[in-house]
Amino acid sequence: MIFRSIKWSLQLWHGIILLLVLAGFGYTAFELQRTRELRRVDQELQDRLALIFTPRPRPAGEGRRPGLGERADELIGPGPGRREGNFPSEEFGTNQNRRPLRARFGERMRDLRLPEELPPNFGAPDLADESGIYHVIWRREQRMRSSDAPEDLERPKTGDAVGPRTRGLYREYVRFTPRGDVIVVGRSIAHELAEFRKLSLLLLGTGAGILALGLVGGWFVASRAMRPIESISSTALKIASGDLSQRIPQGETESELGRVVSVLNSTFARLESAFTQQLRFTTDVSHELRTPVAVIVSQTQLALGRERPAAEYRQTLEACQRAAQRMRGLIESLMQLARLDGGQEHFERKWFDLARVAHDALELIEPLAHERGLKLHTELTTAQTQGDAERISQVIVNLLTNAIHYTPKGAITVVTGVENNFAVVRVNDTGIGIPPADLPRIFDRFYRVEKSRSREKGGSGLGLAISKAIVTAHSGSIEAVSEVSRGTTVTVRLPITG
Amino acid sequence: MRLLIVEDEPDLLAGLAKALREEDYAVDTAEDGEDGLFKATEARYDALILDVMLPGIDGWKVLEKIRAHKNEEIRKTPVLMLTARDRTADRVRGLDTGADDYLVKPFDLPELLARIRALIRRSAGIANPAIQIGDLSIDLRAREVRRGKENIPLTAREYSLLEFLVTRQGEVVTRTTLYDHLFDENESSFSNLLDVHVSNLRKKLGADFITTRRGHGYCIEKA
Repeated sequence: MIFRSIKWSLQLWHGIILLLVLAGFGYTAFELQRTRELRRVDQELQDRLALIFTPRPRPAGEGRRPGLGERADELIGPGPGRREGNFPSEEFGTNQNRRPLRARFGERMRDLRLPEELPPNFGAPDLADESGIYHVIWRREQRMRSSDAPEDLERPKTGDAVGPRTRGLYREYVRFTPRGDVIVVGRSIAHELAEFRKLSLLLLGTGAGILALGLVGGWFVASRAMRPIESISSTALKIASGDLSQRIPQGETESELGRVVSVLNSTFARLESAFTQQLRFTTDVSHELRTPVAVIVSQTQLALGRERPAAEYRQTLEACQRAAQRMRGLIESLMQLARLDGGQEHFERKWFDLARVAHDALELIEPLAHERGLKLHTELTTAQTQGDAERISQVIVNLLTNAIHYTPKGAITVVTGVENNFAVVRVNDTGIGIPPADLPRIFDRFYRVEKSRSREKGGSGLGLAISKAIVTAHSGSIEAVSEVSRGTTVTVRLPITG
Repeated sequence: MRLLIVEDEPDLLAGLAKALREEDYAVDTAEDGEDGLFKATEARYDALILDVMLPGIDGWKVLEKIRAHKNEEIRKTPVLMLTARDRTADRVRGLDTGADDYLVKPFDLPELLARIRALIRRSAGIANPAIQIGDLSIDLRAREVRRGKENIPLTAREYSLLEFLVTRQGEVVTRTTLYDHLFDENESSFSNLLDVHVSNLRKKLGADFITTRRGHGYCIEKA
């Protein structure tokens, strides 16, 4: 489970890559060193091989005996002065296919012919020296070896590889001559092998150290890189568990994660505000429903508490009816708002005259205005617009009802007309007005300037919110200007080009 | 016992007032905060039922002003808050502001009545609703008076008078106080009405059950 975390998988990959790189480097370094050393050894062996065929002065006091080197010179022809390309066609015998063997520079070792008769102690004593290089020569059944050659050295078979080979602690050069002679030149490389072992141990140790350092560093870097992510996830966890006020601590804003953090934080802020709004809305709805329910519960419990005259039951039923009506009004308003919010409210798109709609709305509320002793002034100029006349009429009736409710005395003026390519309807009253602090919020759901002032008027606190939603759905705007105890003017603007 | 209900929803107010009157309380009503505060500070109530959301001054303000009043009797009036908000924060605020009890709408009428009874009992310092005085047992819960096993029938006013004096046993209660607590704002208080009730109670419970301290008032002596 823990290895599924990004930190661990980063660490794992980091470790694997580091290991591969280190292994590659170590192997290369080791191989380079080994090859170099072996090549040096090989060179020594080649030099010795060449030396075998180089004539040397006889030791003083003894008759000159031709050394192998002297013979070799006449066998293979070229002296030190001869170079490649100067070997036109000297024959050195034939191979198995009876083709003439030709010497070329660099091939002379392979093609050398040893003399017919070899002295019994051929080459052996005089070539053993402090360099540690030994040689063994097989001719037919004869074997000639230098004194320091290892005893267990066997005659290489004809099929064996030619050239340098490593046999246990020895590095050897094998040569076959066409005549069937075999020459092995070798020396112990125990010292080199020990050096190689030391080198490999050194490389392994250093590699392990670097790997450990790299892993620690990688863990540190991964932790550093993951820290903001951990803080994001722990904050997100707190938010998910209900604490919407949590925010991710903002580090560097310019880094990639910084940008993620600021985006997340602003998302959280919007989430919180939406959630708070939702909570307030729900609280408001339940609050608005509780009072009528309280009426119904207490009235019915009272009525049913004992036997009562019919008139009292009637009163109870009337009170219950009023409460139920209020709840119905509230529910209808809520449903309409929900439809408007969800874009499910069906709107007609027909041309209509705002002046005519305003006129009809005025006729509807005229009796109420007269009952309150309010004057109604109208300046209705034709203003064609496109939309749902019925819904716009609902808006105007709502504005007029508000104006009447909050105007103890005076007049209400309704103006329609065209202004700046908008069809405009304006409802002005000389009422109690709205305090500046409340003005921006009057279109909020359930917002009441005074907590309970519209309760007696039967308002749900949703009228202006619905009006605003309807106007917005028509791509229009609604705004209010007000002065306390002077009056309020609400202006609705609808676009003329639907 | 005299109560004041401050509630802006007329149907709820009417229902509550009626229910409480049927329980033999003297009930005054107010429809907004200002009127409620005025009545609460002018008259003497045994308990207040106060809605939180009120036009004018809201219930919190009314409660604050009552709790800050200079008259101790008014300051100590038991208050039951009615509210449509049921969040814990609101309840805590209500109780912290000095409400004695808190009821969320919609409430059950029997619960409200029981809470009012408890409120009045507590403010009188009586925890047990069954009171024993001599051979008389008075059940404040059932509003019944018994001598032994015999039930003594009392009228509503007689019972209210008895209850008021019993809950202040040993205290001398003035006639003014009795008028204040037994009659609501709509009743004209005839000066001899109280004497009639006292005389009726003495007939039913025994002549020396209620003693008269001339010039001071009435008293039920401590046993």
